[in-house]
Amino acid sequence: MNYNISAYIVYLILTGFIIVFVGKLFYRNGRVFILGLMKDDAARTDHLNNILLVAYYLFNIGYAFVKLSFWQSIENLAKLVSSIANNMSVLIFILASTHYLNMVLIWYLSRSKKSPLTIKSFQS
Amino acid sequence: MNHSYTVIAYFIYLPIALLLTWYVAQTLFRNGLVFMRDIFFGREEIAKATNSLFRIGFYLLNIGFALYILQIYDTLNGVQGIIEVLSSKIGGFSIYLGIMLFFNLFLFFRGKKVAKQKHDEHMAMQPLATPNK
Repeated sequence: MNYNISAYIVYLILTGFIIVFVGKLFYRNGRVFILGLMKDDAARTDHLNNILLVAYYLFNIGYAFVKLSFWQSIENLAKLVSSIANNMSVLIFILASTHYLNMVLIWYLSRSKKSPLTIKSFQS
Repeated sequence: MNHSYTVIAYFIYLPIALLLTWYVAQTLFRNGLVFMRDIFFGREEIAKATNSLFRIGFYLLNIGFALYILQIYDTLNGVQGIIEVLSSKIGGFSIYLGIMLFFNLFLFFRGKKVAKQKHDEHMAMQPLATPNK
């Protein structure tokens, strides 16, 4: 087994773990916000949350696999560690930036509507 | 033989960077919940959810950065080389973590200020809406 194949295996295990773990955390913690935007309609919230989770998995796992075809050739153990770290860091950066973008989006949506997420709900 | 020094440096760097990130996030977000309770005025569920979303974002950004700067380009000649390279990497990463810590604290304080302003405005409006209570 050469270095490249072992790099692929380690990379896929680590990124798969990160994607699934982070996705579950988003799924659990994001539900409150969707519920606020959907005006406490629990059924629609759960449908939308499931669809968002599936879209997230498709996007990220697809990206993780596309990365494999652009992998540089690896000659030694040091290159193996650094290339895995480099490729994983790009994926994690994409996750982080989309996450912050989503938080800004939720903030804007809850500001523009009269949703129970903001302090405006005190007035009703 | 030089590659083995690089590998040793990587395996020293990785646990230190990950533990440092974990420790800073732990300290920041254990105290962050207090701010979130202030910002969302005791709506416990939303405060907890926002706090853990910020925590996930913090972990992702900083572990991503730690992995991004991992690669060592020069060839290392012995233990001295390992120490010199690692000191600059870990020192730089600590400074970066400090900046991110203060940025998150700034966000918390700012959110608290805005929430307090809105709450005060609302309290000022309240007697006009219901004069006899």
